[in-house]
Amino acid sequence: MKLFGIFFAAFLINNILLIRFIALCAFFGVSTKVDTSVGMSFAVIFVMTISSAVSWLIYYFILTPFHLEFLRTAVFILTIASLVQLEELYLKKMIPTLYRAMGIYLPLITTNCAILAVAFLAIDYRYNFLESMIYSLGVSAGYALAIILFAYVRERMAAAPIPRWFQGFPIAFITAALMSLAFLGFSGMFGL
Amino acid sequence: MMILISILVLGVMGLVFAGLLGFAADYFRVEEDPRVGQLMAVLPGGNCGACGFAGCRDFSEKLILGDAGVGGCVAGGAKVGEAIAAIMGVQAAAFDRKVATVHCGAKLDQRKPKAHYTGIETCFAVNMVDGGGLACAYGCLGHEDCQAACPFDAIRMEEGLPVIDPEKCTACGNCVTACPRKIISIRPQAFPVVVACSSQDAGAVVRKICPVGCIGCKICVKQVPEVFAVSDNLAVVDYTKTGVSCDAAIDKCPTKCIVRL
Repeated sequence: MKLFGIFFAAFLINNILLIRFIALCAFFGVSTKVDTSVGMSFAVIFVMTISSAVSWLIYYFILTPFHLEFLRTAVFILTIASLVQLEELYLKKMIPTLYRAMGIYLPLITTNCAILAVAFLAIDYRYNFLESMIYSLGVSAGYALAIILFAYVRERMAAAPIPRWFQGFPIAFITAALMSLAFLGFSGMFGL
Repeated sequence: MMILISILVLGVMGLVFAGLLGFAADYFRVEEDPRVGQLMAVLPGGNCGACGFAGCRDFSEKLILGDAGVGGCVAGGAKVGEAIAAIMGVQAAAFDRKVATVHCGAKLDQRKPKAHYTGIETCFAVNMVDGGGLACAYGCLGHEDCQAACPFDAIRMEEGLPVIDPEKCTACGNCVTACPRKIISIRPQAFPVVVACSSQDAGAVVRKICPVGCIGCKICVKQVPEVFAVSDNLAVVDYTKTGVSCDAAIDKCPTKCIVRL
């Protein structure tokens, strides 16, 4: 039950994009088409789960024994950057179809702040290994939900006669704000 | 002491990751045809997708596999086609220039209304509400989505119909995707014969709602059977049959929906 709570809280109640407002650059950058946002979502789910697992291990088995917790920012950035490179090389050789499906989004995610945020938050919440895995899965699923919904709205908006001053990002930000208000409705569910 | 440990730990981690990446780069190396790099250098690099593949990289890979033609890069034109042919070691075929064509010929006063539409003035939106006020379920809606989608300023609207400037058109296909009724297609410029209708309704229905629609009478097929065919009550042109005169069919078409541009 606790694991379900962690997943659900990360998925809807504390949605990383619409409630926490982390990783907004990619949220606006790749949400103009549903196809690209789906590609991005899968790449995020993949990278976020693996990188948060590795960061958890490094934090508790390398940084904590040496009392170097203050170095976690530098170490996590180093870890995630190398990890994404490694995953890219591995996929290119072993699963080329998946590599092609994720395309450019895989290397782009190296600098996605949500990945780093999840690694930090899982440690700040003092989750154990399993809980932190469930947490990162929930966050990335929430990311996918928000960006795909948003992409559908933006595809529809492309057909609407929007006043010139609101075209492009202004109307996108207004839409995101409205979606964020809607997601606030989830807070308090299951007493979370 | 703390500083020393920090430096050591970070340094060792950096070294381990670097070693791991170096090893992986070697172990997971994918042998790539060197021609892919050469092709990428000559292609425009815009990843416009007009060739029908996912981007310039995909196109170059398909060229090497033989799935794409050397003249396939629409945006690059003849110059890029020659460069590709030189890399691939084949003779460049005459570059087959393509342009967009509109498959509807009903001007504003020829369109039969069925309802009064007041709503968002884009073809995309009008098409979602069953074609707005237009009786024909296939024809041009005339709200200029194609004109707005054209990056080369090659489309202008005349009497509610888009007119494509063949000089400016690069056959990028943006208007083909933008048109919700799918009445724009890409044809070879050297073959200027077009069926200016997309209606798949039966002839009797078309006669009631449009004076210039294709009624599927097959007179064109009788006149020039090499080029014309009728499927789903609509005449279609086989653009691979260059050099066949279509004049007989154009003259005999009872609704004059086959036109020479």
